[in-house]
Amino acid sequence: MAEDLQRNFRSAYYEKVGFRGVEEKKSLEILLKDNPLGILPPHTDSHPLVARYRQEQYEDVREALKAMRFVHAATPYTELYLRMHQLENQKLMRRSELTQPGEEDEDFLAIARAMEEIVDDPVDCYWLIRCFVNQFNHKFGDSIPHLPKSLEHFLSQEDSRLLAHLKTSGSLVLLPYSLWFRRCFAGSLPESSLQRVWDKVISGSCKILVFIALEILLSYKIMLMGTSRPEAVAKFLSNLPQENTDAIVTKAIDLWHKYCGTPMHSV
Amino acid sequence: MAREQLNVGDLLPLLETADLQQLDEIKGLINEHLSTERGSMLLNGLVDYVLETNSTQAMHILCSVREPHDKHLFDKMNECMARQACRLPTLNLLGQVVRKQPSWIHKIARYPLLLSLLKCLKTDTDVVVLITGVLVLVTLLPMIPQAGKQHLYEFFDVFGRLAAWNLRNPGHVSEVYLIHLHASVYSLFHRLYGMYPCNFISYLRSHYSMKENMDTFEEVVKPMLEHVRIHPELVTGTKDHELDPTRWKRFEIHDIVIECAKVSLDPREASCEEGYSTLPEHFCGQLHLRPPDCTASPYTDFLSSYGSSSSTQFSTPRQPVLPPLPLTSLSGTQPAYRSSPSSRRPNSSCEFNSIYGIKDTLWSPSSQCGMATPPSSRGMSPNPELSQSAFHLSGRFHSTPAGGKGTPCSSTPAASSPPPSLTEELPSGSLHHSTTSLTCKDGRPIDSSKPPLLRQEPIRELEKAGGEVTNHRDSATETVSMTLTELSVYMKEQEQLRMGKEREEAAITEELLQLTEEKRDPGGLRGFDSPFFHTTETLTGAQQKPPSTSTQSSLLREANNAVSTPDKTDTQVGHRGMGSRGPSQEQPWSFQPVFTPIQDPALGHVRHSPAADEEALKYNLLSPSPCKAPSLPYEALFDLALPRAASLCLGHRTSEVLERVTGESRLVDVKEAEDHATTSVSPLEVLDRLVQQGSDAHDKVLKRLPLPSKSADWTHFGGSAPLDELQTLRSQLLLLHNQLLYERYKREQHAVRNRRLLRRIINATSLEEQNNAMKDQLNLQNVDIMSLRESLQVEQQRYRQLWDDRETMVTRLHSQIRQLQQSRDDYYTKNQELQSKLLECQKRMGEMEADLQRANNKVCHTGHQLNQLTAKLSTSESTQQQLSFLSKQLLLLGEAHKLCVQELHQASPDITKEVQMLQMSYGKEVERLKQNLLLQGQKLDAAQQRVAELETQLSKKEHLIAEQKKFLEDVKCQAKEELQASDSRYHAQRCITQVLQTELLQLYSRLEIEAPTTTASASSAGNTKERCGPAETSVRVLDGSVKAVSKVAPALSQSLHGNGSISSSGQAKSVNGSHSTPPPVLVEPPPLRPHVPLGPPGPPAPSAAAPLTVGSYPSAKSFLGMRARELFRNKSESQCDEDEVLRPQLTGLSQGLKTELCVEPAVKTVPGSGSGSGSALAVAAKAAQTHGLQRAASRGEGGGACGTPARPRQQQLRIMDYNETHQEHS
Repeated sequence: MAEDLQRNFRSAYYEKVGFRGVEEKKSLEILLKDNPLGILPPHTDSHPLVARYRQEQYEDVREALKAMRFVHAATPYTELYLRMHQLENQKLMRRSELTQPGEEDEDFLAIARAMEEIVDDPVDCYWLIRCFVNQFNHKFGDSIPHLPKSLEHFLSQEDSRLLAHLKTSGSLVLLPYSLWFRRCFAGSLPESSLQRVWDKVISGSCKILVFIALEILLSYKIMLMGTSRPEAVAKFLSNLPQENTDAIVTKAIDLWHKYCGTPMHSV
Repeated sequence: MAREQLNVGDLLPLLETADLQQLDEIKGLINEHLSTERGSMLLNGLVDYVLETNSTQAMHILCSVREPHDKHLFDKMNECMARQACRLPTLNLLGQVVRKQPSWIHKIARYPLLLSLLKCLKTDTDVVVLITGVLVLVTLLPMIPQAGKQHLYEFFDVFGRLAAWNLRNPGHVSEVYLIHLHASVYSLFHRLYGMYPCNFISYLRSHYSMKENMDTFEEVVKPMLEHVRIHPELVTGTKDHELDPTRWKRFEIHDIVIECAKVSLDPREASCEEGYSTLPEHFCGQLHLRPPDCTASPYTDFLSSYGSSSSTQFSTPRQPVLPPLPLTSLSGTQPAYRSSPSSRRPNSSCEFNSIYGIKDTLWSPSSQCGMATPPSSRGMSPNPELSQSAFHLSGRFHSTPAGGKGTPCSSTPAASSPPPSLTEELPSGSLHHSTTSLTCKDGRPIDSSKPPLLRQEPIRELEKAGGEVTNHRDSATETVSMTLTELSVYMKEQEQLRMGKEREEAAITEELLQLTEEKRDPGGLRGFDSPFFHTTETLTGAQQKPPSTSTQSSLLREANNAVSTPDKTDTQVGHRGMGSRGPSQEQPWSFQPVFTPIQDPALGHVRHSPAADEEALKYNLLSPSPCKAPSLPYEALFDLALPRAASLCLGHRTSEVLERVTGESRLVDVKEAEDHATTSVSPLEVLDRLVQQGSDAHDKVLKRLPLPSKSADWTHFGGSAPLDELQTLRSQLLLLHNQLLYERYKREQHAVRNRRLLRRIINATSLEEQNNAMKDQLNLQNVDIMSLRESLQVEQQRYRQLWDDRETMVTRLHSQIRQLQQSRDDYYTKNQELQSKLLECQKRMGEMEADLQRANNKVCHTGHQLNQLTAKLSTSESTQQQLSFLSKQLLLLGEAHKLCVQELHQASPDITKEVQMLQMSYGKEVERLKQNLLLQGQKLDAAQQRVAELETQLSKKEHLIAEQKKFLEDVKCQAKEELQASDSRYHAQRCITQVLQTELLQLYSRLEIEAPTTTASASSAGNTKERCGPAETSVRVLDGSVKAVSKVAPALSQSLHGNGSISSSGQAKSVNGSHSTPPPVLVEPPPLRPHVPLGPPGPPAPSAAAPLTVGSYPSAKSFLGMRARELFRNKSESQCDEDEVLRPQLTGLSQGLKTELCVEPAVKTVPGSGSGSGSALAVAAKAAQTHGLQRAASRGEGGGACGTPARPRQQQLRIMDYNETHQEHS
């Protein structure tokens, strides 16, 4: 393949001077060529067909659910998505045995809610959620349990005092890890910031989640240092103020770059 | 205390002691007591004592009482006021106190005393009390201006009552009292109008708008109103503003008095201070007086006396024109004396001395700022006439003052005038009476006239040398000759005057005695007076007012000029006297104030008063009564004090009546004042004392008087009781005293004012002096300025000269400079010329030098050339030598060559032919070889070309193949994606179906449980149950199988189907029911397939058949084989088409490959089947193997096809996609 040739011959120079965004489009193309989520094929010729398939599948599943009265017209989309996902993963209970959504379902629902904010079309939305969740679980399912440790590690490097405080106060254990690492901050960050995070996740880095969490801790360090009650800390971190999340994300990405190098092609 | 008190009380009588030292001691003692004691005991005792004895000393003490005692004093007086008997003395005392103006007097408004005073004035019927009270009130008013607020209407009521009283006379008191009363009401009117104009006018308006009061208004108030100008406050002020205390704060008492006087048109009342009051006096005095009467004005009198002694008073209207004349005449007569004093008031002190006792204190100082007067004038004013006349006339001429004084001169005949008056009287009345009356009058007049005479005489003697006065002199002589008593008194007075202050009380007593004696006579003669009265009455009746006045005046004169009475005989003189009377009256004004007042007021009064009766009555009363003598002097004084210009008196009847009365009283006063003026004691005090003593004396004398005489007289008058008469006289005396005091008080106010004015004058003069000094300074400075200017001019001249010099110098220098500049310019030009020449020379020099250089160069050059040429010459010579040598050699060589050619020609020709043959064959051979070589080379080229061509073709093919590969990959990717999509769809569908099935099953189960079962249905149910079981199991199995199958490519399954020998494919097919395109090939196998699709993986039985079918595949040459063959064939054909030359080899190669491919699978499959792995899975695996082989084969084919670049896509598709190719073929 002639990718390297096709790359802008100045990009090296640009990167040397610090402009990292010049190749963004190219890298995006590269990423898309790799079909990160697998919803639409890289070949544009087959787009209509695949799109039709996807839509038909969505319709079929939905209709089936409707027919079975798992959902009805007024059911929120997120639940619909959940049911569809369950159905497709053959985890759907019998209707008579329907129970309250479990933790996994809640995670799914949170992600669905966030995605619903981002995408308008329900079909696209469903597919995005579905593929995102599948990919996330498939790709990083193993590494997620190690993320808290990783966070602790980076925190000790960035701000050991805070870490000590968290440890002594006992709030380190109670940090909202599931919100951060299982839901990928869905519901914690506003969608604009979330998109940037999820882009990274989709591109294949779950480390970014650790850095976001780290940056959140650093940003609200004063506040965290101020409280010693782990419940309050957890509560506060679960309901972060929505103001400067962009800045947090930007800083987190910088941190990420710092610790994991330039992630331009680190798929 | 009590004892001490008593002691002090006992001291009181001792106040009357004659010993001055003792008196002082006692006074000191009492004052000490008063100052130490707080109680009212001593004070009350003092008051009682005063009321009892009328002691002046005690009164003095009371007047000077200090602050805490004022209350007691007022209380005590208030108490006394309540008693009828004490009222009059109390009022007297109050009057004294008020006139004294103690500092606490303003408090009176707060005490009930004022109220009781007002009440008394409103209710009392005793005229004397009323008059006294009114005078006190009038005096008091300026001191308590603010108090007016509360009591204003009471004041007005008092005024209204008294005014009405005057007319209606409810108490039927004697007319004399009424005149007094009128006078006092008049002054009250002035005061009220002056102080509260708005309120007062409004009161008048309201009060006199009532009909019953109209007559009072007409008779009393209206004439009064004619004496006042419009008060400015009436225009600018309001009722409230008048009563505003702040308004009064800036006024002192005398200011208020003067303010009141300002609005008066009455010259006796008005002040001439501020100019506007003087003017009125001019105009009013002159204009006003003239028209009504000459009688009114003193001028007219003078005039009449001078200008027309013969003319009657009717001619007075003309008199205004006359004044100049008399003046001139007078001036003529007494130029020295007149003019000087008139012009220089200060100098007139001698005059004053002579005129000592002149009434108008107010006049001279106020009219003129002359300083000299004030002190002296205080006691007695300088002659009013002078001032007045001066005043009046000054408006017109400067000479008028002279005239003014002239008039006195003319009046000097006053002495003479009395006779005329007498004469007048005589005609009017009976001679006897007149004579008697004369005698009676003598008593009075003597007193009164003496001083005038005394004074007049010296004046006259001094002044009147003129013949004009002879008559008067005569008359004077006459008067002098009148009575011995007169003379004696006259002489005495003269003596007194001359002696100065030698007078002793004895003299006074003597005088008094005389007077009293004389009084008797008049008392007897009173009857004679009545005739006058009658005459006057008749006169008044006959004549209009003017005439009546004249007659009255004559009457007055009678009264006054007792001196003239002796001359009664001269009736004609009296006629003449009509003219001379005026002068005579004036004289007293001018020179003998004491005397004149009587006359003047008399004149004025008489003239103006419409009611001659009153006057007559008065005179009657006065003349007959023995008391007249004292009363008259008091009247004279009265006149003096109140309206200072009785001579100028205005023509208003009522007022004049009053004034006349007052005038009479004043005369006496003044006289006595004169008498006592000599004493060291204040003349006023002396006067008071005198009056009292006089009254006492009178009492005694009266007691001695035989009743009959009195009674006779009185009966003649109307039978009034003599005692009554006495009483009236006494009270009159009292009244007069009161009035005198009032007037004196006023005078003092004026004096205060005068002092202030004097201060101003002094200031003015000092300022004037300053001004003068400044002017002098200014002049000096002007002179300085002048001198400075002159020097400036000189300096300027000098400067100009210098300037000129400088100018000339400058011009000269300028010309020099110009010359020098010119010469300098010449030099410049010459210099320049020389320089240019120099330059030229230098240039030429340069040129010459250059020439020289060039020439040198040429020389050098030529030398050099010469050298070169010599060298060249030498070389050319050497070459010429060589040339010749070489040509020689050439010649030698040519000869040798010729020799060699000859030798050669001589050799053999055989060898050359053979060689030639060989050479030819050799050449030919070479040529052939060359051609061969060429051919070979060409061949080589062609072959090489061909190789290259093939090479390129090969590379093209390879490239094509790569492209194809890439494309294939691409398409594979795409297909894979699509396949994945559809797969996921399929997966989803399967999930759906599963779920649906589970749901369905659930529903069924529920249905079965719920539904009641029949037998038939039960069996069927059993069937269904049986089915159900396997169904469920099958599903379970399916899951596994599907998973297995899903891993297998669909192509494989198809290929298996194609074989039609796979048992499990049916199951797959059933599951894959939704598959859109079931391959048509599959239709064949179903009959072959086992019936149980849902069963577990097939038994080995059917697998036995499978190997057959599988094995048959490669060898069968059926479908696939044919396809493969076809394909290869096609490809080879297409390749052959492209390259005919190399085709055989290539096709051979490809066939080789094909055979290998075809054989190998068959070989492999056989052993596979032979091994007998019977399961479907195994079969499938094998199928997969075969598939893989096929794939390899196809790859090989692809490799084979590499050589052929054509048919890219479709062929590839065909190669890769068996399904499609199948479909195409099927």
